[in-house]
Amino acid sequence: MTINSEPVVRVDHVSRWFGSVVAVSDVSFDIKPGITGLLGPNGAGKTTLLRMITGLADVSDGTVTVLDQPIRNNSALFGRIGVMSEHETVYGFMKGREFVKIMGRLRGVSDLDAAADRAIELVDLVEASHRPMGTYSRGMRQRMRLAATLVHDPDILILDEPLNGADPLQRVQFQDLMRRFAADGRTIVLSSHILEEVEQVADTVLLIVNGKLAASGGFRAIRAALDKRPYHVRVMSDSPRELAAAVVTLDSVEAVNIDPDGAIVVLSNNVRALQIELPLRAEAASIRLFGVEPMDDSLESVFGYLVDG
Amino acid sequence: MSSVYLLTLSQLSGRWRLLVMSVLALMPIVLTESLVLVPSGASVDEFELIVLNTMLAGSITPLVVLAIATVAFGNEVEDRTLANLTLAPIPRWQIVVPKLLATVSVAAPFIAISSLATSHVAFNADATATIAVTVSTLVGLALYSSAFVWLGLATTQAVGVGLLYIVLWEGFFTTYISGVRLFSIRAYSIALMHGLDERRFADTENLGFGVTVAVSVVVFFGFLLLTIRKLRNMDVP
Repeated sequence: MTINSEPVVRVDHVSRWFGSVVAVSDVSFDIKPGITGLLGPNGAGKTTLLRMITGLADVSDGTVTVLDQPIRNNSALFGRIGVMSEHETVYGFMKGREFVKIMGRLRGVSDLDAAADRAIELVDLVEASHRPMGTYSRGMRQRMRLAATLVHDPDILILDEPLNGADPLQRVQFQDLMRRFAADGRTIVLSSHILEEVEQVADTVLLIVNGKLAASGGFRAIRAALDKRPYHVRVMSDSPRELAAAVVTLDSVEAVNIDPDGAIVVLSNNVRALQIELPLRAEAASIRLFGVEPMDDSLESVFGYLVDG
Repeated sequence: MSSVYLLTLSQLSGRWRLLVMSVLALMPIVLTESLVLVPSGASVDEFELIVLNTMLAGSITPLVVLAIATVAFGNEVEDRTLANLTLAPIPRWQIVVPKLLATVSVAAPFIAISSLATSHVAFNADATATIAVTVSTLVGLALYSSAFVWLGLATTQAVGVGLLYIVLWEGFFTTYISGVRLFSIRAYSIALMHGLDERRFADTENLGFGVTVAVSVVVFFGFLLLTIRKLRNMDVP
């Protein structure tokens, strides 16, 4: 097991185009051990990017290296990588356990039975493992595919939309499993177009919009990068009209609305300045503040800014 | 390699596919039996032209192989399970070779029984003629397999392209234009049959036996290498 802080995956000025359509445009980032979430709307280029990271697709420009080696046509590397694609198709005629074992055999696993048992237990599908996969539900197929991805105990996991078809309990189990793997020092890359999935589990977020890397880093780092964008803050006070009049003249404020419940919603273009100026203006006008709530802290709103902006 | 081979065998052994192949394989036997039973039946030359050259070597064998070989990769490309194999730490040839072997393994029994039974009935159990027909047909099967496995990976329209190839190229052009027979798998099969039993099959305008063997080896390994190269260079869905 490799445990260090060196980049495990390096994507360097990578582009990919299909005819005149640019799917990924000049994207660069490093991925270190831990959980990295690749986030973006459908069609943003996440899958194309993951396919280049796994070597399934070639780059049009740039380089992708995994463990300092080119990934494309480097079959030796695949013994250390587990990949689960977004496609849910399975060999319907094959029983789940047979599928996991055959994937293990192809990946050079020595004690196949023990490895298959361990992987199937991890995804909690022991009872269904002797049934043909054609009889599985969508969520069960995904979990058995995850077991096949884990059977050779890979250092690096690359999972494209792994929670498709999973119910809430399965989501929690999956997130716990990923956290355990990350704690072991493994590198996990997972993509999703659902913000909560990434927000709840990822240490680092890569936001892909229109084939470009829109932002990267921790969630707060992404927020800091977006400070110049309009930001809604909800403020509760004993004198909303007076407070609205007091803050509307601030340079950091673009607009103020008063909600029917008496709170004011400030649209700020510089939230850091607002954090300092708002209490000062309230104090100067003898207004008591009951609460200040940022309204744009969810990943969904950040994502919305990026997509709409 | 055995995992890919066994997996491919399972994929190719669908009930309907095997049924269609059985019907195709029976057709030359039924026709030969009919010709034998009719008192004023076909001459040896007519039998060779109609049953062996046109039907067995030019139609039944390529059709049976087409139905199997294009599925070896085609289904995995279509349902996007090919990545299960290409993401394994094994070189590409260890995926292609077992798939080709599985194709031959599934198709060969049907074609072998068909050609054995046909020639056995037609030539009154003449062992040399029966062996010549069977071996040459199986060599044709191997060559068609190599070509059609590649075709299944090269295009999503493999069955349509393959049918056009069988009808237009093997069925028309190489039948009537002798100059292009160097590029016909059917012509190799016929030339081998003539070479293996010169006593019964008169060599008229066929390729020479030595040339046929050499070209057959080139074609088989050429398509095998093309398939490996294609699998290395393609974007796997």
